[in-house]
Amino acid sequence: MPATQRKPQTLTLRAYQVGFGDCFLLTFHYPPQGAQAAFERHVLIDFGSSALPEGAKEGLMLRVAKDIEAECKGKLDAVVVSHRHSDHISGFTRRSGGTGTGDIIRQLQPDVVVQPWTEDPKAQRNATGPTAKNNPGAASLRALTHMQVFAGTVSKHIQDLQGQLGTRRLAQLAFYGETNLKNADAVKNLMTMGRNVYVYHGSRSGLSEILPGVKVHVLGPPTLKQCNAIRQQRKVDEEEFWHLQAAGGQQFTMGSACLFPRATAYRKGQRPPFARWLIPRLLDVRADQLLELVRILDDQMNNTSVILLFETAHCKLLFPGDAQIENWLYALQDSPRAEAIRTLLADVDVYKVGHHGSLNATPKSLWKLFAHKGPQGTPGRLVCIMSTREGKHGSVKKDTEVPRRKLVDALKQGSDYYTTQEVTPKQLTEPLSLPL
Amino acid sequence: MSSDTTPPFRRQRFRIIAQDPSIRVKGKILTAQVEVPAEDLGPGPWGHRVHVIDYDASTQTLYHPPAYHRGRDKVLVDPFVRASDRKLLNDPHFHAQNVYAIVMRLVARFEFALGRRVSWAFEGHQLKVAPHAFADANAFYSRRDESLLFGYFPGARGQNVFSCLSHDVVAHETTHALVDGLRKRYTDPSSSDQAGFHEGFADVVAMLSMFAIPEVVEMAVDLNWSKRKKPPRQRNGSLLSTGAMKVAELRKSVVLAMADEMGEELSRVRGQALRASAQLKPSPQWYNDSEEFKEPHRRGEILVAALLNGFLGVWLARLRALDPADRGWLDRGRAVEEGAGIADRLLTMCIRALDYCPPVHLGYGDFLSSVLTADHELHPDDSLYHLRHSLRASFHAYGIEPASGGGREEPGLWLSPEAEQPKLPLNYSRTHFESMLRDREEVFRFLWENRKALGLCEGAFTRVESVRPCLRVAEDGFALRETVADYVQTLRLTPKEIRAWGVKGVENLPPDLEEISLHGGGILLFDENGRLKFHVHNHVNDRKRQVERLNMLIKFGHFNKGAESLRRFSHMHRLRALNSLPTPREGWI
Repeated sequence: MPATQRKPQTLTLRAYQVGFGDCFLLTFHYPPQGAQAAFERHVLIDFGSSALPEGAKEGLMLRVAKDIEAECKGKLDAVVVSHRHSDHISGFTRRSGGTGTGDIIRQLQPDVVVQPWTEDPKAQRNATGPTAKNNPGAASLRALTHMQVFAGTVSKHIQDLQGQLGTRRLAQLAFYGETNLKNADAVKNLMTMGRNVYVYHGSRSGLSEILPGVKVHVLGPPTLKQCNAIRQQRKVDEEEFWHLQAAGGQQFTMGSACLFPRATAYRKGQRPPFARWLIPRLLDVRADQLLELVRILDDQMNNTSVILLFETAHCKLLFPGDAQIENWLYALQDSPRAEAIRTLLADVDVYKVGHHGSLNATPKSLWKLFAHKGPQGTPGRLVCIMSTREGKHGSVKKDTEVPRRKLVDALKQGSDYYTTQEVTPKQLTEPLSLPL
Repeated sequence: MSSDTTPPFRRQRFRIIAQDPSIRVKGKILTAQVEVPAEDLGPGPWGHRVHVIDYDASTQTLYHPPAYHRGRDKVLVDPFVRASDRKLLNDPHFHAQNVYAIVMRLVARFEFALGRRVSWAFEGHQLKVAPHAFADANAFYSRRDESLLFGYFPGARGQNVFSCLSHDVVAHETTHALVDGLRKRYTDPSSSDQAGFHEGFADVVAMLSMFAIPEVVEMAVDLNWSKRKKPPRQRNGSLLSTGAMKVAELRKSVVLAMADEMGEELSRVRGQALRASAQLKPSPQWYNDSEEFKEPHRRGEILVAALLNGFLGVWLARLRALDPADRGWLDRGRAVEEGAGIADRLLTMCIRALDYCPPVHLGYGDFLSSVLTADHELHPDDSLYHLRHSLRASFHAYGIEPASGGGREEPGLWLSPEAEQPKLPLNYSRTHFESMLRDREEVFRFLWENRKALGLCEGAFTRVESVRPCLRVAEDGFALRETVADYVQTLRLTPKEIRAWGVKGVENLPPDLEEISLHGGGILLFDENGRLKFHVHNHVNDRKRQVERLNMLIKFGHFNKGAESLRRFSHMHRLRALNSLPTPREGWI
């Protein structure tokens, strides 16, 4: 019997405790069939953290990598990387001597590495060509590059503002800046680890051959071609905007030469009475501006997330990365297949909560679609899994805390809710077994 | 004559960059000499309304302020009168002078149009201006920081681009500050129109004050007109071909050509405002049907487009009048003069209209009726320029109708209280007009005594926010004395009370919301004899308007904690630069 006709019977889902980040190992168990022996398929979805769990030791990520190695018995079938934020890819970073977490995953020789189309180096090469000047797709990719260059300048600005602003705001800035930094080694490692498949809404996932009996639908991100003309124009504008921000962020800092070297200026730090009222306010404005910019770029990066729906005969699992409403809008509203997609999503059984439970990453229109919600004890009740760490992102005062309290309440009320916060770093994970 | 007896000079001239440094004539930056009210300037420049403080928060550098001295004729010497382009671009002192002069010129323009001194929205008297506030493609007005902040950024060719050198950007931000001083509540979340008004009005003022500079009109006229068929006896370019002149043609040959010339890089600061509005073809669909045009900066473009087309319509009519024999040629100097003159008159109309606008929930129809009424009060006869006629037609083409039907005299004008409520006469016997000229308590008394006749909501908290006597002067010297007072009513209701009160159709109010503030209000315009001429209002008990407002606030997440942004212009300009689209929030608020 050809392997494609085999069907998985159960799934073991491991959500690793990595603090503020995502790391999921999906093990599909295929029972013996006739003369055919049983086998397993292992798919790793994201491996990164931007803040380890409280009290965790430095080597936690290494322990996670070794656990993955052990669970998949030395062979990963596929790696899915939702998007390039450090809390999703930092675990793929290598170390000299081959002792990094990225080295361990590389040694597991995944057959396929699935990433969003925005990571396709071919598309990125085209994006830098002169003919691509007014090409929205190319502009979009260049915008992502500029954003990461800008994120790289944030640490210098934080240093400049040290002692002038409250530590909380500086910490917020640092968090966003670091999350959005380009992790060149992780990107390179992923690019050369296995066969690369770059996906977009409606494309093939590259996982069908690896996961017999499992349909994998790619719901996002949309390509620029799939977006309307206005959104395409917006990408051209974005590219120019981020280009300026990146250049300005690099060029003008406290240590750089002042704008008008020939003009007479007061000594750094000197504040004559006429300017004493305004200077602290301007520094405050500057911090706000930087924070606003890093938040915008953080959201835009989140919206490049791959959204995958795994479908077996009796179970559907939804993994949306950190996609927010702008990414979801295409699948839920604008796509010619939107109605069919909404129907498909109605009986989702397992939902990986988007963006660590943030305010905007589980659109209410999506949540309303899930038909398997219900009070405790409901047969076939929806399972929701969240990987997060409290107190790292957003503010309770502004109702933007991650995970968002109201979302968590809704998840608890309508689903069997699991969070990595209940797993100790010592445990690493609490595997969940699901019938397929 | 000793200096003590020298009569004080009332005006001072400064050189400014007429549009932005990318606009050049014969390879040189187009500059202009503009007049501003003379004052005893301190180093900065630091005057009675504006204080330029050149602090750069990105490099943390504070530049020494420039000081001015007086010449033998006691007039301040502008050190940049003959400065080279290189000097203009590279000397921060010129940048400081440029922002000071543009801001002061606009302050004076507002004060002339309104017939009184204008105040800022904050306690102090002097607006702080930072010409190189930070390295960022942004510029904005911040009420909290009492300042206008202009960013700079590296340009494509390695040169730095300074937003403080763009007349358009400086005038736009100054207008935000001036409108905020006049109508603080226009920054409150309300309707799409009100959200778009601040941005659109600032663009209108920036555009019209740019066209009111003859050097700019001259340059705009020369851009494309010169490419037309040459007149038979070209006398040093003094004749222009009329060709087949239409509004669309003028829009293309003057306005779009102008937009093309404006710095591509400076458009990063807040998008291509002029281009976007000039390209918006007349159609009611943008205003009435388009979701995209409910977003503030796109909504603002409709207002600019309607006024721009009105301006071009009037100018076109005047140009035709310059060639009565239909020879196909007209005098270039007169064409320029007419263009600048009409822009100036329209600018005055728009600014004066602010006094006739309701203080809350402004709609574009309200603004149109206010423009028409403000102009009618000073120029009852519209037959020379047909400005009001042209504006009505242009706004109509964009789907905007005056909020008032007007009377027999002319359509679109606000009606007098007697015409509105003939059966409820006003009671003047318990108030003293002399006090009402300056006393909020006296105006409140008038409101209280007439609350039924004026249709006020009786259960609401009422507050008179300002009382401003004005003396407006028309171009022909005709003077008009008026007193403008504005009041606001606030009703705080729980979601349950809102439903009981009869506001239906509001979906998805956050369940844990304790109270919601509903606002209403109006302006009272008294004539020189103390009689109420106009009562322009949007009442708090206008349920339809309240439903629209609440639904919009819910849709765009205004009830979220932290949604209130005190630096909202910064954010709005950022979205504009990013050409951002509105996305309904679906967050877990």
